[in-house]
Amino acid sequence: MPFSRTKVLTVGVILLRLVLGGIFIYAAYTKLREPWQLFAAGIRSYEVLPMQAADLLARTLPWFELLLGVLLIVGRWLRVSTVAVSGLLLVFFTLMVRAHVKGQTIDCGCFGPGETISWKTLLRDGSMLAGSLVVTLVAFRNRSKRAETA
Amino acid sequence: MKTFAAAVVLLLPCLAAAPGSGTGKALGNPAAPVLVEMYSDFQCPHCRHLHETFLPAFIKDYVATGKVYFVCREFPLQGFGPKSREAAAWATAAARIGKFQEVAHALFENQASWAMSGKIWETVATVLTPAEQAKVQAIFKDPAIAAEVQHDVDTGNRVPVKSTPTLVVTHRLQQRPWDYWQDGGTLFRGYVDALLKN
Repeated sequence: MPFSRTKVLTVGVILLRLVLGGIFIYAAYTKLREPWQLFAAGIRSYEVLPMQAADLLARTLPWFELLLGVLLIVGRWLRVSTVAVSGLLLVFFTLMVRAHVKGQTIDCGCFGPGETISWKTLLRDGSMLAGSLVVTLVAFRNRSKRAETA
Repeated sequence: MKTFAAAVVLLLPCLAAAPGSGTGKALGNPAAPVLVEMYSDFQCPHCRHLHETFLPAFIKDYVATGKVYFVCREFPLQGFGPKSREAAAWATAAARIGKFQEVAHALFENQASWAMSGKIWETVATVLTPAEQAKVQAIFKDPAIAAEVQHDVDTGNRVPVKSTPTLVVTHRLQQRPWDYWQDGGTLFRGYVDALLKN
């Protein structure tokens, strides 16, 4: 039996969600396995937040990334989690573009230390942002459809 | 300067060769749980600042206490021109007779002076006896000295070291470069403390 377009889209979105969830869990793991100071130095290097705010973010953001990754994979609270993932990725991407345009040779901080911001990292994070926006749109579209059916 | 000299004197008995290089640019206990390699350029103002402000206390609190094994690496930046590499070579030559710390300190302390005049050897000579000067001048001509400087640069590029000063921290075979110094090194000390607790 041939797959319909809707089924292909559904499977594609589920795969995208799993991939994004896996990436978020891996990103959290690379930060949580190191002392928080290492990530804090990475955040401070962007020169966007005050030191205390950067330190607080370094202690909490990896746990938030872990939670979002798990939510994406298990498919719970999808609208909230996809919006949060898209929002986070949008912020990350904007800051990385800003740093790149300013000519800052700093670590991206995405998956632990040692990865300088480059066209490669921008392309990767940009693709992730595009993927998360698709997942977010589908999550909201599915809700509208369910509401119409009811 | 007095603080740095005191820290160095404290560690003179611990002077040991850096792993794999045998150059006498290391301080502390080679069996310490954390290895810190400092990649610096003698013409870099931030390196000088780190050398004068952060390093003496760090050596006293972490290296002298056996928590950290500290190794100096040369990373002459191309942007500063050939003087950086020459200074690195003089310091490396001095290391062969156990005078690296003294020469490094003289080069940082008089950075502006020799960077302008180009009188690098004259600066180095101020901390050496005439006999030591003769030895260092002879060692300087050895191609192995330039090769050792280049080896440090190549090793740094592999880390990768993106700027100076960068301290590369190795703990349980994990190597992490650290180049954030805007807070005077407070966060770095916290990082090393956290590694030592693990």
